[in-house]
Amino acid sequence: MAGRLPDPGFFVGYLNSVPRPLAIFLVVVAAALVGGMAGLAFALGTNANDPGDGTFARKLGKQEMTGVLLENPYPILRVRPDARNPEARTIMLTVPGKRSVKRRGRKLFGQLVDVKGFMFQRGDIDMLQVQGKNSLKAVEAGEDEPPPTFTPAPSEPLGRWRLIGEICDSKCHLGAMRPGDGLAHKACANLCISSGAPPIFVTQEEGAVAGETFLLMADQDGGPLPGNFGDYVAVLIQLEGEVERLDDLLVFKVDIDKAEVL
Amino acid sequence: MSVRYAPVGWNRNKIIYDVVLLAAVVAYILLYIKIAPSFQDVTKPTTGTILRAQAFGTCAFLMLTFILCIGPLARLDTRFLPLLYNRRHFGVITCAVAFTHAATIVSIYYSFSPLNKYVAVLASNTSYDRFLGFPFEVFGIFALFLLLVLAATSHDFWLKFLTPPIWKAIHISVYVAYAAIVCHIVLGSLQSKQSPLLAVIVGLSVVLVAGLHLVAGRIERQKDRNAAERADEAPWVVAGTVDSVPDGRGIVVPLEDGERVAVFRYGDKLSALANVCAHQNGPLGEGRIMDGCVTCPWHGFQYRPEDGCAPPPFTEKVATYRLKLDGRRILLDPRPNEPGTYVEPVQVTEA
Repeated sequence: MAGRLPDPGFFVGYLNSVPRPLAIFLVVVAAALVGGMAGLAFALGTNANDPGDGTFARKLGKQEMTGVLLENPYPILRVRPDARNPEARTIMLTVPGKRSVKRRGRKLFGQLVDVKGFMFQRGDIDMLQVQGKNSLKAVEAGEDEPPPTFTPAPSEPLGRWRLIGEICDSKCHLGAMRPGDGLAHKACANLCISSGAPPIFVTQEEGAVAGETFLLMADQDGGPLPGNFGDYVAVLIQLEGEVERLDDLLVFKVDIDKAEVL
Repeated sequence: MSVRYAPVGWNRNKIIYDVVLLAAVVAYILLYIKIAPSFQDVTKPTTGTILRAQAFGTCAFLMLTFILCIGPLARLDTRFLPLLYNRRHFGVITCAVAFTHAATIVSIYYSFSPLNKYVAVLASNTSYDRFLGFPFEVFGIFALFLLLVLAATSHDFWLKFLTPPIWKAIHISVYVAYAAIVCHIVLGSLQSKQSPLLAVIVGLSVVLVAGLHLVAGRIERQKDRNAAERADEAPWVVAGTVDSVPDGRGIVVPLEDGERVAVFRYGDKLSALANVCAHQNGPLGEGRIMDGCVTCPWHGFQYRPEDGCAPPPFTEKVATYRLKLDGRRILLDPRPNEPGTYVEPVQVTEA
């Protein structure tokens, strides 16, 4: 091929002069390189998949709520209704970083607590990142007042379900990262879950169970998922188990060893 | 050429080369992370750190693809030879871009946990027994390790210290690094709900690199098949005719044993040298005579045609060969002399 082309001149790098035909060709190549890279950057950068609407809702400001702190299956707060939020809610809890709220809450499980922090929100599912001094403490009774109490509603069984979807770590999926799912995020999800972030099951079909897409995961007895189930995180799997409703949060109680990778 | 080592050997052409490269990298990164997100059809934008990691990762892959295309392109069209001249700077910049990708990923995916972040890189995903969910990160780590070794040994000091054959053997591992990066992308991003565009670009890149190498390799093999014919008198072979060698240039003569010899004409003289430059195995026969010396088309290393020695103070040497004329035919003794052996040039007369 080289033989058929007109002689473009001989290039010697350390000699500063470049033969004119070769210089013109090299300018074209340089422009094509810069332009091509710019074009590819734009094409790849604009073709991102929608990572969803998960967000760290710092704009809402620091939230304060009162409720019963539960340890199982993962730290959750059964929020006591009040004048501003008359509906009972159940909110998953986390702390800054890839860590569990368990250490801070170890003496408070089962008690009525005041919690402060910032919200992660995705769709109609929330998570509270407990943050700041005295942000998790037992509710104290005022002088001459009876100790405050709140009894959360019992869980409502929704029957046995066979679901297809993906196990994600709740914190990233709800907005700590976008995207917070998929194989590229698998190692991060494994690390988050093993460090204490509640695992959630994200159904492939939106609103698959009672209109909900996100289900907090638990073992068959309602405790945390046992052992290392990292192989099933971030891949499409099928799982079967009982679904229960805790206020506005669904809990998917499964035998994780029976997960089927699709 | 230089007789002393400097951390980076600069000249005007290298500076222009590097400026163009950096312009391409800066344009890519800025467009990816600053401008493209405004045009995304998404509910909420990708997290900035993840976007940066994606930008640097894809940029490194595309740069390495381009680097691997330079070699065969230069074989197919000599106008691409100047891209080869400073390819090592291209490689070092690519390594820096890939390192930034890795550092960004570690800073977001593996930090903030009780586990050491570097331990977490290897311990977070251990699904080695399955394809879906395989820890694709190990391919990236392996590729980055190779790129770091190549960048660290890219300097001419290491070329001299390790000797060209060993240095070349080490640097061929850039293809292993490329294969590892392709596995890293295929098992990671491509299976992770990414748009099909990345799959198309990665596929086309691999086809381009493989295709160019196959075409260039096929042409080189065809050249080798046309080995010089044996002359009537052993051990001589027919290298060509006097008229087939332009003044100031050379022809490449393939031998039966797979070696190649460069036969140069300079004025009324003919000389023959090994075709392989002592610097980085460049094809001397495709070079020119400059200042009375055979000049390699890759990096401009020079050798005197009559003894194969680089002019003082340089010390490189290549093998020389004996020539003689049979009428207008050039006959070549295919047995190489020791590098640096003087051989009296053959005198030619105009037909």
